[in-house]
Amino acid sequence: MKEDSSKNGRRKFLKNLGVTVGAAGVVSSFSLLGAAKAAAKEPAEMVNLLTQDGQLVQVDKNQLRPTVTAPLNELQKRGREGIPGKSFVMVIDLSKCRNARKCMAACQNHHQLRPDQHHINVLQMQDAEYTAPYFMPKPCQHCDNPPCTKVCPVDATFKRQDGIVLIDNERCIGCRFCIAACPYSARIFQWTEPKDAEKYKDLTYNIEANVPQKKGTVSKCLFSADRLRVNKLPSCVSSCPNGVYYFGDRNEDAVTNGTTHETVRFSKLIEENAGYTLMPELGTKPRVYYLPPKNRAFKFNGDLLNEENLH
Amino acid sequence: MKNIYQLLTCLILILSLSNFTVQAEDWGVPSSAKKKHNPYDANVKNISSGKKIFNINCKTCHGDPGKGNMIHLVPISPTDIGSQDFLVQTDGEIYYKINKGNGAMPTFEKTLNDEHKWMVITYLRSFDKSNRRSEKLAEVKNPEVTDVKLDLEIQDSSKYILAHLTGMTKKGKRVGLHGIEMSFLVKRNFGYLDISREDAYTDDNGKVETVFPYDLPGDREGHVDLLVKLTDDAFYGNLEKSQIVSLGVPTIPVNPLDERAMWGTRANAPIWIMVSYIGGVFVIWGVIFFVLFQMIKIPRLAQNKE
Repeated sequence: MKEDSSKNGRRKFLKNLGVTVGAAGVVSSFSLLGAAKAAAKEPAEMVNLLTQDGQLVQVDKNQLRPTVTAPLNELQKRGREGIPGKSFVMVIDLSKCRNARKCMAACQNHHQLRPDQHHINVLQMQDAEYTAPYFMPKPCQHCDNPPCTKVCPVDATFKRQDGIVLIDNERCIGCRFCIAACPYSARIFQWTEPKDAEKYKDLTYNIEANVPQKKGTVSKCLFSADRLRVNKLPSCVSSCPNGVYYFGDRNEDAVTNGTTHETVRFSKLIEENAGYTLMPELGTKPRVYYLPPKNRAFKFNGDLLNEENLH
Repeated sequence: MKNIYQLLTCLILILSLSNFTVQAEDWGVPSSAKKKHNPYDANVKNISSGKKIFNINCKTCHGDPGKGNMIHLVPISPTDIGSQDFLVQTDGEIYYKINKGNGAMPTFEKTLNDEHKWMVITYLRSFDKSNRRSEKLAEVKNPEVTDVKLDLEIQDSSKYILAHLTGMTKKGKRVGLHGIEMSFLVKRNFGYLDISREDAYTDDNGKVETVFPYDLPGDREGHVDLLVKLTDDAFYGNLEKSQIVSLGVPTIPVNPLDERAMWGTRANAPIWIMVSYIGGVFVIWGVIFFVLFQMIKIPRLAQNKE
């Protein structure tokens, strides 16, 4: 029964998409025609545009409308539902990390964040006085029992069927309860006007990438949900130069390394390397697994003298 | 005079810079380490397994040997390790560098075992033009064939996959091709999972088999996308065959939203929380209305008494 309804949903979605795209095509061709007519009448302020088939045309500036990539509510709807049948997990191999910070840069680029804002952050760790320090990338843990979604008063942050915890910036009222509830400090708040706010102000909001970012709302790691939809690995995973990240589907029991593109069994990787999760005592059931920093590929080259850096 | 000064400064700058790179590349390989020899033969099997290990562990930085498609790093990019400049080193020197690492080059002392490291060196030596070892490759002796075909035989009960590689000889006879490595891959969301057994080379009849892992999940019906291909396309090109087989464990994905939970959004809240909350609201408002009602009654009572 359930399957039927989901199938209908997909058909309906495809149909709607077809209609929308078709309509958009018709409208755009009309507007181009209109533009051409208007141009013939009176040469107002003209702009040069390159058409799809490579011709240069002059169009009246008043005739131009910003493109709408997809209707907002459709993006919101599919973003809330998630990808059926998937259960995404990440494995972070601490023995390979040398603080290259390419993951952070790629993430900030993807989600339009400033360099001081982190969806993923590489921390210098030292668990106790005489233990070995190491680097630890820390994204959102996408818990299976997330404390953050419990406290949201407006249903803005939620968990989807594929396990990803998202936030809807259109609903978020900026109360920051979720920031207080998260034991992993995975969430950030947009205190000021976001990076390139002016540049992206006409962009349709995509709930699966949190772009464009909105001032006065909370933003967080999304496992690059928009990339997962097209079977691409998350930005941080595919940008790592040292093979730190594995990402995959727990239902398939396979994770793929973002650097080497080697696919391995998830259960074996965890079993053979004694994988663990952060703060298991809280019962949050994280979806991000860590492999201990044993047999390291690089010597620790962090700044231990500066205690501010240590966590 | 001014020109000479400029020239001198330039020279000094260039010299100091080159000095810097020399220092950055200084590996300090001890002479005893240089004398180590590769104990493994440069045969096709070793080279091909070396290539596999290289592609997983080294390729992302060094690129393909001899192609110069390494990633570009500052201050120094990784070397093209298929170039003659690199291969003038002894096996022991390369072995030492793989073990120790330097700067951005990680150490592989613990991540790769000795055999794997030597396999990689064997693979690299196959690019060495001056090395005689690379010339005495134990070639696979197969007759010249056309119309190479790859057939799959699958036994659902024992989870057995048999690949059969054959070709047509000039006399028009179909023969098995032996000594060719085959990869058995299962499609997963972001890549292919290798399920081939160790040394998956075809036997004299051109057959090679592997057992599908008994615990690997498939979809709801246990279907998985199987891809069998020649590991090395140097022999018969990029020959592959894909097939949907039902060897996986049938897996019904669990939707975490199906159960009511504390972390669920409003619609998914547990029944007890909804009942107690709504009940609480009714009780509190009930008490307030009850009190108000009683207060209205007070004047009436007073009137009645009078």
